[in-house]
Amino acid sequence: MTEKITPIREKMLANIRIQRFTPGDDRSSYFDNFKVQVETGMTVLEVLRHIKNTQDSTLTFRAFCRSAICGSCTVRVNANSVLACSTQLLPIIKDFGKASVTITPMANLPVIRDLVVDIDPVIEKLAKMHPYLMENRERIPETLEQESLMSKKELKQFDSLTDCILCGACFSACSTVKVDETYAGPLTIAKAYRFSIDPRDSFRGMRIQASMDQGLWSCVQCRKCLKVCPKDIRPADSIRQMRRIAIDDGIHDTAGSRRAKAYTDDVEKFGQVNKPMLPVVVNGTKGWTAIEAGEAALEKHGLAPTRQVCTLPGQEGAAKIYAKVREIEKKEKAREQQ
Amino acid sequence: MNNNDDKLHYAFYSGCCFQGADARFFEILEQVFDKVDVKLHLMPEAVCCGAGVIEERSELTSLAINARNMAGAEKMGLPFYTPCSTCYNVISNCQKRLQEDPKLFEQVNEILAEDGIEYKGDCKLTHTLWMLAQDVGLTKLRERITNPLNGLRVGSYYGCHTRNPSDIQNYESSDNPTSLEDILEVLGVEVVDYDTRDDCCGYHLTWPNKDLSLKMTGSVLGGAQKQNVDLMVTSCPLCFKNLDGAQTKALAATKQDFQLPVLFLPELVGLACGMSPQDMKLDWHAVPVHVRL
Repeated sequence: MTEKITPIREKMLANIRIQRFTPGDDRSSYFDNFKVQVETGMTVLEVLRHIKNTQDSTLTFRAFCRSAICGSCTVRVNANSVLACSTQLLPIIKDFGKASVTITPMANLPVIRDLVVDIDPVIEKLAKMHPYLMENRERIPETLEQESLMSKKELKQFDSLTDCILCGACFSACSTVKVDETYAGPLTIAKAYRFSIDPRDSFRGMRIQASMDQGLWSCVQCRKCLKVCPKDIRPADSIRQMRRIAIDDGIHDTAGSRRAKAYTDDVEKFGQVNKPMLPVVVNGTKGWTAIEAGEAALEKHGLAPTRQVCTLPGQEGAAKIYAKVREIEKKEKAREQQ
Repeated sequence: MNNNDDKLHYAFYSGCCFQGADARFFEILEQVFDKVDVKLHLMPEAVCCGAGVIEERSELTSLAINARNMAGAEKMGLPFYTPCSTCYNVISNCQKRLQEDPKLFEQVNEILAEDGIEYKGDCKLTHTLWMLAQDVGLTKLRERITNPLNGLRVGSYYGCHTRNPSDIQNYESSDNPTSLEDILEVLGVEVVDYDTRDDCCGYHLTWPNKDLSLKMTGSVLGGAQKQNVDLMVTSCPLCFKNLDGAQTKALAATKQDFQLPVLFLPELVGLACGMSPQDMKLDWHAVPVHVRL
């Protein structure tokens, strides 16, 4: 006999605090509070619609598909960027332990009205990344009747990145965009990387340049974009990979590439990063100022400064691992070229 | 290794952040954790986790050296403890990647075989936050407080790498973590909320883009200062480096003028457990700690 499962339906009266702002009419943004009976399964979007239908028809927000595919309903709930249509409210209320949530528009973008922001800055940054395939003549077939086939392995390299719906949640959560409005933002670099490693494409160099022009090495790797991405495309990982292909393709003369080289080589050589010398390795001669300041601080406390990091006992083992990985990567590359 | 006492034992992965003047933290951590019956055993064969930066050259190298680091703790039969949030983030990410991809797990183990090491995948990872709030527990911590820091207004600061993404830890909610505030309240201080609490300090831009790094640090400090906190406390040693060590430059870069003492969480725990500011070497801070402790 199978037992009948009755889902538990909870109800809770919650205070929904929403940021309001109409440029031209309001001098600054302010908050309105709405009381709503929130039930199990109710999404943020359903709550917003309910408020608009029953309490305040002037409440303005953007939404369309209700299926987490159009990417237009991104807002922040208790400061976290989410898709309103695919985020349930009750678990958030429970997580924060109070029957009140705050809904604000996406961060890092100008507000048009209430919860609607202008996403043009994101689109403009994306457009600079050449987010389309530029045919690779060696790879695509001669006639339209033939298909340009890809192996499963090739597709796997960027498959998950094609899931990006340009919702901008990562852009809203980005720590770097917050302090540097010229920075590309996570999704645009992820998109640039997606096309750059497509075997049917031939525009990789242009995209590396475009992403460098828009701050490829300005990503701080706070990993917030990984957390908020509703499609789990892991933008910050793509940024690391974009940096990797840039270095592989000969971009060695940036502070970021020098840091990557220093960290990688130091762990092989010493088992740890040679922090005392890092300023010079990364920033050239102007790094001496930082080194001297650090040494003065050590001397103040009676410690003898050193310009050589000590080698950790694990270095020998790590070096063996490096050698083996190099061997594997070399074989892999040879196989790809065949 | 004697594990039959009443102490909690951990394989201690120090990472590479405690170099130069910060080497003092080896001794400080040992002393502070002794107060709460925790014994750290330095992992002899560990190497730097690469801070995710090695992935910009070779992802497989990063995964292999960090599987090797975890294998070190497995060999010792102890949970893997790191005080560094970035090490925690990178190594936890490695653990998760290898759990999800059996082929990769196998490949990494083939690589580790070169060094005669096997990574089994059953290593428990933890950080100061959860070691104190959950393993030691707030009840025991409360018992050991001899110098409650009542009246002190403190801005708590997690930093990013114990919080993002959500799946790198399952100790607590990543949207609304409370371990740091729970610990601080046990120490007797008043936890003050401020609007830049969840922002990034910018430490990992120190090398590739110093100007942006200082802007981020200045912004975090400014938010806390606005709430008139006596000091800030962070659970991340790298955030500590930026918020304390780079404070003067960060405030100059963001056109602010104040001094806000910043403490690394174990320091404040030590003080509440009766250790002196001299024991905690507070005079080594870049920003003087002029508050009554």
